[in-house]
Amino acid sequence: MVYVDEIDVDQEGIAEMTLDENSIAQVARPGTSLRQATAKKHEGPSPAVRPVTQSGRPLTGFVRPGTQSGRPGTMEQAIRTPRTAHTARPITSASGRYIRLGTASMLTNPDGPFINLSRLNLSKYAHSPNLAKTLFEYIFHHENDVKNALELAALATENAQFKDWWWKVQLGKCYYRLGLFREAENQFKSALAHQDMVDTFLYLGKVYARMDQPLTALSMYKQGLDRFPKEVTLLCAVARIHEEMNNLTSATEYYKELLKQDNTHVEAIACIGSNHFYTDQPEIALRFYRRLLQMGVYNCELFNNLGLCCFYAQQYDMILTSFERALSLAENDEEVAEVWYNLGHVAVGIGDLNLAYQCFKLTLANNNDHAEAYNNLAVLEMRKNHVEQARALLQTSAALAPHMYEPHFNFACLSDKIGDLQSSYVAAQKSEAAFPDHVETQQLLEKLRQHFAMI
Amino acid sequence: MAEDAVAAVPTEPTTLRKPRIKKAPDLPILERRNWLIHLHYVRKDYEACKALIKEQLQATEGVCEYAVYVQALILRLEGKIQESLELFQTCAILNPTSPDNLKQVARSLFLLGKHRAAVEVYNEAARLNNKDWEICHNLGVCYLYLKDLSKSKEQLNLALQLHRQELSTMTLGKIHLMEGDTEGAIQTYLQALQLSPESTELLTTLGLVYLQNGLFQKAFEYLGNALTYDPSNYKGILAAGCMMQSHGDYDVALSKYRVAASSVPESSPLWNNIGMCFYGKKKYVAAISCLKRALYLSPFDWRVLYNLGLVHLSMQQYASAFHFLSAAISLHHGNATLYMLLAVALTYLEDTENAKSSYQQAASLDQCVNMMLLSIIYYLYLT
Repeated sequence: MVYVDEIDVDQEGIAEMTLDENSIAQVARPGTSLRQATAKKHEGPSPAVRPVTQSGRPLTGFVRPGTQSGRPGTMEQAIRTPRTAHTARPITSASGRYIRLGTASMLTNPDGPFINLSRLNLSKYAHSPNLAKTLFEYIFHHENDVKNALELAALATENAQFKDWWWKVQLGKCYYRLGLFREAENQFKSALAHQDMVDTFLYLGKVYARMDQPLTALSMYKQGLDRFPKEVTLLCAVARIHEEMNNLTSATEYYKELLKQDNTHVEAIACIGSNHFYTDQPEIALRFYRRLLQMGVYNCELFNNLGLCCFYAQQYDMILTSFERALSLAENDEEVAEVWYNLGHVAVGIGDLNLAYQCFKLTLANNNDHAEAYNNLAVLEMRKNHVEQARALLQTSAALAPHMYEPHFNFACLSDKIGDLQSSYVAAQKSEAAFPDHVETQQLLEKLRQHFAMI
Repeated sequence: MAEDAVAAVPTEPTTLRKPRIKKAPDLPILERRNWLIHLHYVRKDYEACKALIKEQLQATEGVCEYAVYVQALILRLEGKIQESLELFQTCAILNPTSPDNLKQVARSLFLLGKHRAAVEVYNEAARLNNKDWEICHNLGVCYLYLKDLSKSKEQLNLALQLHRQELSTMTLGKIHLMEGDTEGAIQTYLQALQLSPESTELLTTLGLVYLQNGLFQKAFEYLGNALTYDPSNYKGILAAGCMMQSHGDYDVALSKYRVAASSVPESSPLWNNIGMCFYGKKKYVAAISCLKRALYLSPFDWRVLYNLGLVHLSMQQYASAFHFLSAAISLHHGNATLYMLLAVALTYLEDTENAKSSYQQAASLDQCVNMMLLSIIYYLYLT
């Protein structure tokens, strides 16, 4: 039987995110919410250096549920599949993720189900603690019947005179599954009063993250770290929260702390590596990625990153072999497209614009939604003075990825150059929304406003 | 309300008894609320202004010229030029004798990038009022976009004769520069400077023109002036820093760049200059780091690639230098020094054959200046 790790992050579905009523403030103060809009200050590298995801959060070094798109502001944004994620988001987590856990129950046994839940006298079983625990796990994980599980847990905790922390944690898990976060919080807290457990701290942190209270979650994890110093899972959770709040410098610190305890933690190595790469230290990033390779991670993405690091660290002999390996390891078209996209950058770097053009074309052949490739193709067309093609490509790119500032800004510049100030203004405003601190956008907007204000 | 009705009933018979002479109907004046609209507009209270205009247009069935005019201005400020153009056209129909309305129509056309149509409308406006410098200036700008430089200059000069102002001189200076007439440009800018001696934009532009002509003393004077008025002027800092750098004042230049880097962190030329400052101070690793950031920000800039090649040559990393230099050459042909550096890199990589052809290429591009240097290097390494 596969035991599902309940603690690990689960992805919020569209319904949870857009119809969420658990967060306290709709317009949270800056730095207190995971749901921030794109309009905020960036800690660490700016979006001009480090690419961003749909929600305006810098790309992370490790794909895990929730890192790709964050919390969308609108329904439209929620439905759109982020390019770098492989699957669309589940409609709700109740149907999307947990239905798989219940599939075992859907197989019809010839002699009827193993345990017929509806005919079970739960109060009888609640009186024998050992059996009850096993029965609870069966109902919760195998049958995926949260309501009955909750009933059993409630009876059992009553039977244990509310003194058994284990039952309280299980109650909390049931409440969490049902979306009753406040009740879950109470149960977990009361469980912590009886017994300090790493699990319980992690569950509590998860509850707070769902209620969009990252700072409370952080303080909870800190408490946990006081009781269990240097606990790896807690450190990892803290780092993730920092990363989601765009605080990459502290996230990296926690990841480093984590690596001191567990020097084979893939997520930490990958995140630190990507952070070094985007802060002008490709040589150090290369060492982290090489460590991953030594540990036996052997996939397309890793070789892709190795190739890029080699290029920016001028290890010219390794670039093409890395990318070749990446191409041969690619499992689907999206990965092939990413490799060709990066090869395009290498081609730009050695000044071979024809090769770059072909690389970006190949990217689009493999993945037709690759907004960055459209943008870069447009730039190449602009260099050849093909204004119309460039305009069309930029428009496609902007429609595919409204969260990127580059296509908007390029479009604004292009329109400004040919004198179409209205389009330029509209595009520049979009660029400003995506990246408020971009100086060149500000300068362009200022110039356009002067034009408009002049009578 | 009820009281009014009660009171009205007994008065009715009296009016019947004494029929007065009918007064002329008290027609509201169309313009009576223009002052209020204007007040809201100049206070930038656009929401209130729009509400008022809506009311006014409903009351007058859309024939109040001023209300339409201000509405169009607000729409233009919001960036909705097409709608604004339609409203200005309505204004021009309501009052066809006003050159202002025509000017606004033309301006909207100009903002939409329809320069030829704009020129026609401006000409029409000029027929109504031929003493207006704005019309002449805008005609000049339109001709500039239509690449008709001589006509543009003519109109701008006319505008300057009618009214001396900074705007036309700036454009005129730009045209002079486009034609390669730096002397004329300098004269024009100097004239403009007399009108507005504290304009940082003018001062920096003038400084840059002097810098390009090699008149360092004067360039420094004007750039320094610009920086005293606005110490965080990005262009001025960059130019001034560049001059300090060429005199070897690396620390001063770096302190200037620090100011600019905080306000414009994503500027490739700035990082390039910072990198070259470090290079001058013999801090090669820092130089490479800065230059690489510059390259990351603008991958098509051959100057950054050139500098990277240079730094790597002095770091004795000839293979890297070769890659940067060859990239620079494929982005920008026809610079003799690039070929020369490439040849040096190739010589160190012991590829004499290609080094030789690279030297030859360099020599064929630049006959006089580097000839001496070239031949010396050539002989030194081949013998």
